Amino acid sequence: MRNINNIISRCEELAFDLDFTRAKEWKNEDKSRVIVGYMPIYFPREIIHAAGGLPVAIFGGGDRKQIIKGDAYYQSYICHIPRSIIDMALDKHFDNFDGFIFPSICDVLRNLSGIFRTKGFGKFVKYMDFPQNFLPEVGGVFYQDEMRHVLHYIKEINGIKVTPERLNHSIGLYNKNRRLIEFIYDIREKYPWRLSMKDWYHILRAGTVIPVEEHNEILEEVAEYVKGDVGQRQDKVKVVLSGAFCEQPSVGLIRSVEDAGCYIVDDDLQLGSRMVIGDIDATSEEPLAAIAHAYIFQSRYSSSIYDVDNPKEYRLAKIVEERNADGVIFASASFCDPSLLDAPIFQNAFDRMGIRYIAFQFSENINQFKVIKEQVGAFSDSIKLWEDEPSSIPVAE
Amino acid sequence: MNNTVYTMGIDVGGSYVKNVLMSYDKDSGNHQLVDKQTEKIRKRDPKDVAHDSIDMILERNNLNYDKDIAYLASTGEGEMVERKTGHFYSMTTHARGGVFLTPGARTVVDMGGLYVRAIKIDERGKVLDYKMTGQCASGSGQFIENISRYLGLAVEEVGDISMQADNPEVPSGICAVLAETDVINMVSKGASTPNIIKGINISIAQRVVKLLSSLKAESPISLMGGMGMNKGMIQAIEEVASENKKNEIQFLSHPDAIYSGAIGAALWGGYRYHILKEKSEKELVAS
Repeated sequence: MRNINNIISRCEELAFDLDFTRAKEWKNEDKSRVIVGYMPIYFPREIIHAAGGLPVAIFGGGDRKQIIKGDAYYQSYICHIPRSIIDMALDKHFDNFDGFIFPSICDVLRNLSGIFRTKGFGKFVKYMDFPQNFLPEVGGVFYQDEMRHVLHYIKEINGIKVTPERLNHSIGLYNKNRRLIEFIYDIREKYPWRLSMKDWYHILRAGTVIPVEEHNEILEEVAEYVKGDVGQRQDKVKVVLSGAFCEQPSVGLIRSVEDAGCYIVDDDLQLGSRMVIGDIDATSEEPLAAIAHAYIFQSRYSSSIYDVDNPKEYRLAKIVEERNADGVIFASASFCDPSLLDAPIFQNAFDRMGIRYIAFQFSENINQFKVIKEQVGAFSDSIKLWEDEPSSIPVAE
Repeated sequence: MNNTVYTMGIDVGGSYVKNVLMSYDKDSGNHQLVDKQTEKIRKRDPKDVAHDSIDMILERNNLNYDKDIAYLASTGEGEMVERKTGHFYSMTTHARGGVFLTPGARTVVDMGGLYVRAIKIDERGKVLDYKMTGQCASGSGQFIENISRYLGLAVEEVGDISMQADNPEVPSGICAVLAETDVINMVSKGASTPNIIKGINISIAQRVVKLLSSLKAESPISLMGGMGMNKGMIQAIEEVASENKKNEIQFLSHPDAIYSGAIGAALWGGYRYHILKEKSEKELVAS
């Protein structure tokens, strides 16, 4: 087993390599290989893998790229991530990418797909609709058609016909990936001091830009590490971090939350890698139907899914209960409509249920966390010291 | 059987690391300040200063960290202290420390190196509301330190010197940079050192009193933090409050005011030690 510190620093390097060096190296090893970039939140990566491709998540430039050109494409009241993605595209960070997929999560990303198309980035640009109808014979069939469109685009490039065997093999690899991720989350729930959220975030995010086989190897090593009695336990409260599923906060913010007295035991930062709960059937003769079935019946809740019969506030409350969390931190990107529109729904429900929470906003490039740290510190202390009293955290003006 | 529980509190500030050792006697229920230490950070790594300070206190009191310290609580910028058991937000600790040093206080003013914060509390030290100055050096202890250095004074001297003033020279601006220019002009005009220092104290006191008004602070008000040991500053605050027709306010101070954060951290650490112990005993019984 490699040294855990080496694994973490390699993952940090991979996660924030804005030139996607490892993905491009992988592509250069074989002419039939393609790289397909996808935007948050979720995309069924299995189908790209089965078609001889590497799905690469695009989370923007974060705090590592100064936006110069991107501001010309979006108004000031739009979130930060599309600007940094445009800047990256114009600065040729996505050279060698064959296609781009824009899942339907909000108007901003939809418009970004249009900009990519008019600018001629990649060989194809696909705005991918996800079913909002959760009947398999309606939404499920529609979703399978959407996936076939993507496979058609890739076949046009590399000529690879995706067979059920190939797809089932890919599904099996991603099943293993999710199992390992959940195993580590489960260990972290009980022993969060064994692996900090900052390090875990690097490991998780690295998995979105490298082949799944490589990520599975990394996860196996990390799983082995966290099984051991490592790290020093501290007196912190356990929280669930919610709302930062698309534009990612900088790692400094995650570290600030931890430093201010919280163990983050669950989160939706890399929701796309965990969207399907449990395994997808890897033995089906119709693997696309199996993927669609899993999306319809085994999805996590998300701000971009309108599942009226399965209210998300109760699903988040269930996560809080299952993870034995003391409260929730709502961290929404500024101007992120899906997250900010959901926040009052969650907060009203949590007021009724007596679940403690705080809420703040961030943008991917902020590096000053003093106010957030004070808010989180006050939150953590209020739980540690006044557990039996109603929450009353003074807020700075 | 030893009935004494020891906790440590370490408050890493902008200029100083403050560290205390406290004891809790299970029979009498009394908390006692056993030892204390202040270290100026200067140009050193605060983490190293904090660790050295912990070791010094342990050594002085013949204590072993692993065996004798029930809880090491950090506060301020003390997240980097690796040996800590837990970290508390500085407002929470100053509130608790203020109640310990000045019982009965209903407002604690933490007057530190980098900012001033007024905290409204209940009788247990629970924070109810607060207001703080912006990140501007002119309302902070660092400003006083800078001025005392320009005037060739030790920071410990400024309190007594300020009390000798007969005609205070209050700087015109609220900006530290401009105020420092003002001080240079005052020196060249021949203003006396006590009058300059008193003027600076008054300018900070005006900000503190404004902060207390906007918080609708309740009396008694405890003046804590490094500047809470500056007698000249306390006098200036009382005078400014009186000028603002706030004579009914009672101000409290304590010679250990600089340790209020560290003391609060150690006390809350002791509280958490008992809570965690109870929880783990319950878990043991349940299993």
